[in-house]
Amino acid sequence: MTAPILEYVGIRKTFGVGPAVLDGFSLSVGGGETVALVGPSGCGKTTALKLANRLLDAEGGAVRIFGRPAAEHDAIALRRRIGYVIQEGGLFPHWTVRQNVEAVPRLLGWDEARRRARSDALLAMVGLAPEAFAGRRPASLSGGQRQRVGVARALAAGPPLVLMDEPFGALDPIARRAMQKEFLEWKARWEAAVLIVTHDLREAFLLADRVAVLQAGRVRQVGTRDEFLRAPADEFVREFVSEFAP
Amino acid sequence: MRRGALLAAALLALGACRAAADRPVRIGSKNFTEQVILGEIAAGALERAGVPVERRLDLGGSFVCHRALVAGELDLYPEYTGTAFTAILKEKPIADAAAVRTQVGAAYARQWGLVWAPPLGFENTFALVMRGDDARRLGIAKVSDLARHPELKPGFGYEFVERADGLPGLAAAYGLAFAARPAEMDLGLLYPALAQGKVDVVAGNSTDGLIAAMGLSVLEDDRRYFPPYEAAFVVRGAVWKNPRVRRALEALSGAITAQAMRRMNAAVDRDGKSPAVVAKEFLAGLPPAAAAP
Amino acid sequence: MSELGAFFWQRRAEILALTGEHVLLVAAAAAIAIAIGVPLGVSLARRPALARPVLGFANAVQAIPSLALFGFLIPVPLIGGIGARTAIVALVVYSLLPILRNTHAGILGVDPAVTEAADGLGMTRRERLRLVELPLAFPVVLAGIRVAVVVGVGLATIAAAIGAGGLGVLIYRGVATVDHRLILAGALPAAALALAFDFGLGAVERRMGPRR
Repeated sequence: MTAPILEYVGIRKTFGVGPAVLDGFSLSVGGGETVALVGPSGCGKTTALKLANRLLDAEGGAVRIFGRPAAEHDAIALRRRIGYVIQEGGLFPHWTVRQNVEAVPRLLGWDEARRRARSDALLAMVGLAPEAFAGRRPASLSGGQRQRVGVARALAAGPPLVLMDEPFGALDPIARRAMQKEFLEWKARWEAAVLIVTHDLREAFLLADRVAVLQAGRVRQVGTRDEFLRAPADEFVREFVSEFAP
Repeated sequence: MRRGALLAAALLALGACRAAADRPVRIGSKNFTEQVILGEIAAGALERAGVPVERRLDLGGSFVCHRALVAGELDLYPEYTGTAFTAILKEKPIADAAAVRTQVGAAYARQWGLVWAPPLGFENTFALVMRGDDARRLGIAKVSDLARHPELKPGFGYEFVERADGLPGLAAAYGLAFAARPAEMDLGLLYPALAQGKVDVVAGNSTDGLIAAMGLSVLEDDRRYFPPYEAAFVVRGAVWKNPRVRRALEALSGAITAQAMRRMNAAVDRDGKSPAVVAKEFLAGLPPAAAAP
Repeated sequence: MSELGAFFWQRRAEILALTGEHVLLVAAAAAIAIAIGVPLGVSLARRPALARPVLGFANAVQAIPSLALFGFLIPVPLIGGIGARTAIVALVVYSLLPILRNTHAGILGVDPAVTEAADGLGMTRRERLRLVELPLAFPVVLAGIRVAVVVGVGLATIAAAIGAGGLGVLIYRGVATVDHRLILAGALPAAALALAFDFGLGAVERRMGPRR
């Protein structure tokens, strides 16, 4: 059994004077697997995600990334090895699509030919023909197209771990459904582990190998859909997954 | 009814008389220390004579004051005969003080109905001034010596640069050609600029209080380029008709020597006294006949 | 009218020389104000607690009448005195507010999602500033520079009072001698300069295009 690529052990995180956002949060993500983190809004899902690339640091507990404690990683180098996709996309509006996709390879110092080959391949993978899209600006793209570029950008340097925060949340239901389907196709061609945060349980069951339900700062249960339905860990979980009951 | 109308008419007439006699005399001055002091002296003298006065001192340059007087915005201001002769009447400068005085008096009366009060007793001519050390070191004592030193940086006020009897005429008369374009600035800044070394020679006034205080040298006008500049008040004809105004101003005739003017200027520029106080002290020191007509 | 034209033509060498001096005054002040204002604006955007007092101070300085500021600076050692250097210092002081405020607003105005993405991708603070924030804030910063320069052209005319040269010299001479031709000889080129800068920088602003 290989070591998990990302591991949270008993994490405690507060913001200022309020109650702890995460309290005793534990979860592990193995290499190559897709784990979805679900829960009601504001339950700390995004916070947990940001601990993985050190956009935030925890006060208590341990985060291990690529087998080493988070604090031992140089934050900048770490982030360049982890893909990051956010709900709003966050594409650089003053750069072309190609420049956006090539962002991390640029930071890593890849030469132009290598960058170009990579961005061509990724744009093709996410369904945006390079000849048509590479030179365009994000403002001229639809929401769905922008998210595709965002995914391509996150994968550009071939990271072993990808973090996704409500990646399809801003899309209309049709575009969303299309992206979810394509995600599964893309995922089949990666070897990366993915931690995806979503409030949509259906999406979680669709995209992930395992789903973790987060509530009151802790993971209530982790498992497949069947495991949830057969043996919900507590009342909350049962309620939460009830709509999926046969 | 008729008695009421008569009473009203009488009151009106009385009021008009009082108004004419009591309308304040508006006294102006140019925008440098000596002028403000002279304006205060005129104001003080008139007030002692029971004439109400409105001060409009520190107005602007010669041309501003002259225009204001002609337009009736002012009733009197202190002027210099040479300035009137060359800058305002645009005549070519001559050296005869009495001739200048006569011609100026006649022209002003004829063209604008303005009267020249008797001269105050001193002249204030343009003076080219340098730092004392530099003048001694370079052996410059006369304006014509300047032609040998075009490297010196000149500094002038705005009026001097434009007036025909100012820089253009001076440069022509002495064959001056400075290497650097003159620095032009507010009059009050010329001496500080000289002291700070920003400029090497400035056109100041011969009665400036700071000349002695700052150890500056006045260069001799050896080619007698500048006309005589006798100081005197110029008054609107209508106001001169007022006997109290006339007597008060005539009492000041010859009352101020160049040395006295210099001392008063220094009191303001070097010692920081207010022109009003300096003027009051001067008037207090005059013989009684002059102080109270 | 043609008499005015003949007057200008006769004095053209002087008018041109003074226009050149004027441009130098404004350009020097703008360059210094940009060199100070942009980095300061960026750091204020990072430290909100500092932003309010500093911007408030710059705002208050704008209220000082310019001639008064020129006068205050005369006796100050090193940066003061009579002449162009003092004028440039004062012009820098007046140019700082628009540049500071616009840089601050420009940086803060960058979409937070964009800066979060920049961080998440692994940009260092400096890379984020250089590659993302400054380019995106640039149109707003440029607008501030434009205001500073156009206002600076007007303020620089007053600087002639303290011996700084420039087109104000003609205006002051005209006022002293009550000669409207001289006043116009200074005022018209100054106005033309202001318009030219405004137009030129406006064209650059438009070229940059909408970014967000």
